[in-house]
Amino acid sequence: MSYCVNCGVELEPSLTECPLCNTPVINPKELYKQRVTSPYPKARGQVDVVKKTDLTILICIVLGATSLSCLLLNIFTFSGSLWSLFIIGACLILFVLAIPAVIYTKLPIYISLLFDGAAVGLYLYMITFNTSSDEWFMRLALPIVALVTILVEIFTLLLRSFPVSYITTALYFFAETAFLCVGIELLIRHYFGDPLRIVWSAVVLTVCGVIVVLLVTVLSRRRLREAVQRRLHF
Amino acid sequence: MKKQKGRSIRRESKIWYKLDLSAIVYPTLQRRDFSSVYRLSVVLKQAVDPEILQQAVDIALTRFPTYKTAIRKGLFWRYLEPNNRPGPFVQEDIRNFCMPMPFKAGNRYLLRVYYHDRRISLEAHHCLGDGTGGMCVLQTITAVYLRLLGHEISNGWFVKDVDEAPDPGELEDAYMRYANAQVSPARPGEKTYRVRGTKEPFYTFNVVDGIMSVKEVMEVAKKYHATITEYLNAVLLYALLQKQQSEWHWKLRPVKIAMPVNLRRFFPSKTLRNFITMVYPVIDPRLGEYTFEEIVLQVHNYMRYFISEKFLKGDITTNANTQRNPLIRVVPLFIKDFVVRMFYTRVQDKNSSAGLTNMGALRVPDDMKPYIDRFDIYMGQPFSSRTNCAIISFEDKLTINFASNIMETDVERFFFRKLVKDGIHVTIESNREKIS
Repeated sequence: MSYCVNCGVELEPSLTECPLCNTPVINPKELYKQRVTSPYPKARGQVDVVKKTDLTILICIVLGATSLSCLLLNIFTFSGSLWSLFIIGACLILFVLAIPAVIYTKLPIYISLLFDGAAVGLYLYMITFNTSSDEWFMRLALPIVALVTILVEIFTLLLRSFPVSYITTALYFFAETAFLCVGIELLIRHYFGDPLRIVWSAVVLTVCGVIVVLLVTVLSRRRLREAVQRRLHF
Repeated sequence: MKKQKGRSIRRESKIWYKLDLSAIVYPTLQRRDFSSVYRLSVVLKQAVDPEILQQAVDIALTRFPTYKTAIRKGLFWRYLEPNNRPGPFVQEDIRNFCMPMPFKAGNRYLLRVYYHDRRISLEAHHCLGDGTGGMCVLQTITAVYLRLLGHEISNGWFVKDVDEAPDPGELEDAYMRYANAQVSPARPGEKTYRVRGTKEPFYTFNVVDGIMSVKEVMEVAKKYHATITEYLNAVLLYALLQKQQSEWHWKLRPVKIAMPVNLRRFFPSKTLRNFITMVYPVIDPRLGEYTFEEIVLQVHNYMRYFISEKFLKGDITTNANTQRNPLIRVVPLFIKDFVVRMFYTRVQDKNSSAGLTNMGALRVPDDMKPYIDRFDIYMGQPFSSRTNCAIISFEDKLTINFASNIMETDVERFFFRKLVKDGIHVTIESNREKIS
């Protein structure tokens, strides 16, 4: 029978420290006494995973039937152009987006984001069948999609690797926005054969740069960070 | 034979239950990491045999049709329908109990039964019923379990006769019968003090139990000219006030406790579904510094004034009028969900600093007493980061169970230290792992 010297409560024999104030329990008379097991179980539970089989089947049927019927209509009835590729591509994107949500929930987020990027790339490639040339795709659309995918992956990585707060999220967002705008402008200039320099994206870069510096200052000063959190909490 | 079976299945498929007035809100608040699940436990004097317990659960649950159900979505409201899937199966207890309860998991059952050493625990989703209903289920399961072990246990109090058909009164939505006041009083809401703390990772559920003698607590409460509930309410308010004082604050806020009141005390009803309403004892430190005696007096007067048949009737009428409004009824469920969730998060949840429930002194049939050590009750995972306190007593053992999902134990510490200071002997149990 031990009591907490701080709180004055009797502690159940399996407790090695007071749960109220963390004071260790040391009973000089019972130093070598065998540890009593806790009245609480040791095993931890996991929330059951809900199987969304019905929804998965429904999504597959709806998307598959839409794509197939459009393809058949395109081949046999309205065969002027390959318009069905727009719909098949859209269905494909929806299917890829649905994979981590309902079909295979254990898919790592980085791979599902990569699939999303690939699906958007494939959709844009399908559009090239309805345009005179595929140069815009190879030299402009594909690099932009790749850039956006990489930036989204980095954003996710940062959010998952470091402590998350509104300030850090805003910092990542503005830093990546600046990179994205600069990248898009350079790719557009490269596509049109203009000299590689930044004009409109320089404005975005400056604004984002100022915000990033501000956020880094707030983050690096604990007192400032806490003051901002207090004033902006909701 | 086949025809008869087919007929009974058809008859059963026609049965469904509307959610009661309180139960409408709970499924709306369901999140990946939150369900309105409460736990009731009974600690026996001998280790539990899981196989016999499973038999007891199977037998006892047929007596409680509203507890053997699954929740489903309609276009305008959710509803309960009988669940004939296998289960619920008894399972070995876990450390982080009161876990979220996804509606489509666990064969769609909205209750779980656990066992560990001498303890039988029942976890139920609040949309099935309140603590009184849950206690009937738990005690009936325990009585059937003891009977299967060969003991003579009679029916009475919370133990229902498993051989008789359920009384229709047990299945009713009693709110609607009594929500007939001529006015619906407005419910002023104001921002109250919120316990700040470090949120524990998902799946963590911290429990601190205090066990003490009913006689000792009653003597101390009498010294303050209060009942046990009033005294313990005052101690919790005192602990919250101390917590607020001890931390950085821009300005002081009122400290308010959300306390469910069992309406069966005022409005006769046999219902095993929800029949509670909330009262909010409050202390406003902006008015000046309160001594503990003043807090007890304030709580005592508040309870005497507000916990009366007339005020409670007005309160449930306010709730019922919202549900009766034809304009609200025709709004699709997903919009109702969105609005209710937003109202709860922005207003209702901020309206109280902590929750406190007192199940009071439990009675069991005399021949069941020798097999029972004590009862425990847990209000379950709090919706936001705070502490919930639940009180229950059996014979001379009063158990106060704190449940929280934050790392700090300041409120619990201030609470139990005050009890010790008042001369009450408290024994502490906890499932908290070493706190760094």
